[in-house]
Amino acid sequence: MYVAVKGGEKAIDQAHSWLDETRRGDTSIPELSVAQIRQQMGLAVDRVMAEGSLYDPELAALALKQASGDAIEAIFLLRAYRTTLPRFLASLPMETNTMAIQRRISAAYKDLPGGQVLGPTYDYTHRLLDFTLLANGERGNSSPSTLPSTQPSDETVEDCPRVLDFLNSEGLIESPLANSGDLQPDDSAPADLTRQPLDYPAGRDLRLQALARGDEGFLLALAYSTQRGYGRNHPFAGEIRQGEVAVEIAPEELGFAVIVGDIQVSECDMINQFIGTATEAPRFTRGYGLAFGNSERKALAMALVDRALRARELGEDVVSPAQDEEFVLAHCDNLDSSGFVSHLKLPHYVDFQSELVLLRRLRKEFEQRTSGRQDPKANTTSKPGNQDEPSMDNEQHREVKQA
Amino acid sequence: MTATNETHLFAMQALSTTFSPALSPATSTAFSLAGLCAGFDDPVHQSQQVFRRALTALSEPGTVQNVPESPAPEGAHSASYQLCLTLLDAETPLWIAPALRTDALVSALRFHCGCRLVDEPGQAEFALISPDFDGDLTHFAQGSHEYPDRSTTVIVQVESLDAASTWTLRGPGIDGIRKVGIAGLDPRWPGMLADNCRQFPCGVDLMFTAGTALMGLPRTTRVEI
Amino acid sequence: MTSAASNHNSDTESDSNGYNFAYLDEQTKRMIRRCLLKAVAVPGYQVPFGGREMPLPYGWGTGGMQVTATIIGQDDVLKVIDQGADDTTNAVSIRRFFARTAGVATTESTLAASVIQTRHRIPETPLSHGQILVYQVPIPEPLRFIEPRETETRKMHALQEYGVMHVKLYEDIARFGHIATTYAYPVKVNGHYVMDPSPIPKFDNPKMHGSPALQLFGAGREKRIYAIPPFTRVESLDFEDHPFEIQGWDQTCEFCGSDHSFLDEVVTDDEGGRIFICSDTDYCNQRFETGARQEAV
Repeated sequence: MYVAVKGGEKAIDQAHSWLDETRRGDTSIPELSVAQIRQQMGLAVDRVMAEGSLYDPELAALALKQASGDAIEAIFLLRAYRTTLPRFLASLPMETNTMAIQRRISAAYKDLPGGQVLGPTYDYTHRLLDFTLLANGERGNSSPSTLPSTQPSDETVEDCPRVLDFLNSEGLIESPLANSGDLQPDDSAPADLTRQPLDYPAGRDLRLQALARGDEGFLLALAYSTQRGYGRNHPFAGEIRQGEVAVEIAPEELGFAVIVGDIQVSECDMINQFIGTATEAPRFTRGYGLAFGNSERKALAMALVDRALRARELGEDVVSPAQDEEFVLAHCDNLDSSGFVSHLKLPHYVDFQSELVLLRRLRKEFEQRTSGRQDPKANTTSKPGNQDEPSMDNEQHREVKQA
Repeated sequence: MTATNETHLFAMQALSTTFSPALSPATSTAFSLAGLCAGFDDPVHQSQQVFRRALTALSEPGTVQNVPESPAPEGAHSASYQLCLTLLDAETPLWIAPALRTDALVSALRFHCGCRLVDEPGQAEFALISPDFDGDLTHFAQGSHEYPDRSTTVIVQVESLDAASTWTLRGPGIDGIRKVGIAGLDPRWPGMLADNCRQFPCGVDLMFTAGTALMGLPRTTRVEI
Repeated sequence: MTSAASNHNSDTESDSNGYNFAYLDEQTKRMIRRCLLKAVAVPGYQVPFGGREMPLPYGWGTGGMQVTATIIGQDDVLKVIDQGADDTTNAVSIRRFFARTAGVATTESTLAASVIQTRHRIPETPLSHGQILVYQVPIPEPLRFIEPRETETRKMHALQEYGVMHVKLYEDIARFGHIATTYAYPVKVNGHYVMDPSPIPKFDNPKMHGSPALQLFGAGREKRIYAIPPFTRVESLDFEDHPFEIQGWDQTCEFCGSDHSFLDEVVTDDEGGRIFICSDTDYCNQRFETGARQEAV
């Protein structure tokens, strides 16, 4: 006699302990510490913080360790933790103008106040595997020791006025809050998709929040599609900056703002396609990106998609995926997408059995038809019947059992 | 609670750093604690128990549900007060009919729920009224055809819910018909309720309270006299 | 496997540290409770809610879990099924989650449960008054496969523009001679909203109509909650010349001999061998044991 498979509980336990072993790998190799991940896998940590929507490098590093380095799994761990945290209050808007700059470049001007600061970037590295690192060498670069200290000393950091402010003061670009739809300066709190369900059309505040949490790969692909003509918006990287910004809160009972810490962010101001009307002089438009940590690729992609999503507001035709708010916002979150794609791994025996029953019946009827025997039921399809109304008596008919 | 260290206290979202105002003790101390009506001793389980009765009340209209005995501020029925403690917080604007707006009730709800009192019934997600309130049910938020859920839930304090049956109810949650007797409703009510029902899917949902007793009358319930 | 017999889980104290009763914080529960009250007041309408990340992936029952976490109390007895079975891995995982975070009693018995969370089935044992059935819902919008845009489907519900759904079902009839929807078969609730019953087989649809139990639906990823109060009219969409009908099998259950329950097909060898067994494991066990007892007498 057949015995059905039981013991799901035991199987789960054993899968978990096998997973623990696999995650640890060969125990003769020293275990990675969370501190090592945080220090030496910084960009992975930054991505987990950005998409996990929680600024905590230590927990992000822990999540990466626990997730065997799988970014989406680590993001999930951080989000599931974040959602249980109490909320005390909202910070003041971050003032990125006062960022302690580590990197600042503009592709629009050759030189400008504050200068071009290259910072720690992979941009101009030659992508050649560095076998010194494989041999556990501390430095892979050829002769870095001959260079002066890489960290800028305090006096070398100039004030860095915003590139787009130069354009704005000339009236060449829309002002930062122009046409921002529902985004109100100061007097109304921005929307929060972690508290309220998304509602379309979404204000720009909500869109930016969704993009900031959104999957880097998805945004990157969409951003790329705009460059290839699917919603082209003629971008110039007006300014990209990375560095530390103070986070301030102003509790009501204090009556003044206090700094609660500094966080590392990457910001991108994109200068885009100019617009103009019969009554308004032409000027450039903007796209904006911001992400926790050193997440420059994410910030760039976000700025391009932000600009693409402003199509309707700026009177452009919405014809491409990156311009389609509902399409982008409904699909940019990698916990949504990975969860739903992976749920196909769950049992669907019942649905599948339902399809099998019908398919067998349809095939049987098909055979009967083609072999000349008439099935009366299969031939009653020409009359549309009472198409707009379900029959209300709703008597439940059980299907005639198949022969 | 969850482990906290300093960084976790400032769990910030990228960009949109809006949080609902926390019910911090600091804002609460604005009220005098002396004489303040107590909230739940065990908020987690008591509010769960009251919610389940409220859920049964609205899903089985006309049945009388009883919440446990518990103190309530002057002017409020125990069931009304416990419903408020269970369902209200800083995110739910509340309108209280002037006749019921006692200092004791207002300060207790402010302290325990942190809820916002509004002046216009139409802005309220919840309302607390007595049957003779000045106005009619259309003054409350009715929801829209796109969002019928955005309508006011109205708590009505009545004399009793076990008077001789005068109404026959029909609709979802009722197996055939259900007879109810609500004491203390003025003659406007059957007409107001009929109008409310006709608006479906818009309309308000009602919770009648008397002492610790509770009865739901959602917009789907048809009332016949 | 022993059926029935509620058992209190012992690892409550040790594992639940740091989290609130039933995992969700009270503010989230209040928000969901308010949505649930609106959901029962407008049967079949999908109430948007501020769904939270749960410690299980989206698509794996996070909506149902949020509903269960919001309604469940210390005195409840919880049953969790997936595909009708109590011992499928995801059902085991969710049942453990609540035993751990809420310390509630769990059961495999449909009769003994006060709250039943389900994925893809309605138990064969008729539900009774006072029970709550919580469905896990992947795509709550019945019109989604006809119109992918939320902005459009919302208007269609507002205007009760459901003709497209009938057209779609009728196209199947024209093509196959039958309505080709076999699960997640759309229903009309209380004569108003067209609703997705979650991917239960259409075999289960009639059980929703006039059920004495309260039926709650949670879609976590899509952030929607909806409900059917007890004793509510639930009609499966159909046509006069093609009335709604449910699946049937020539075979009976290999274990309990049932000729009236939903059967799962099991492949026994690679030469076409098949047997059929009840998808509802509790129901099958009850019948099996009752049958064994009667034989012994």
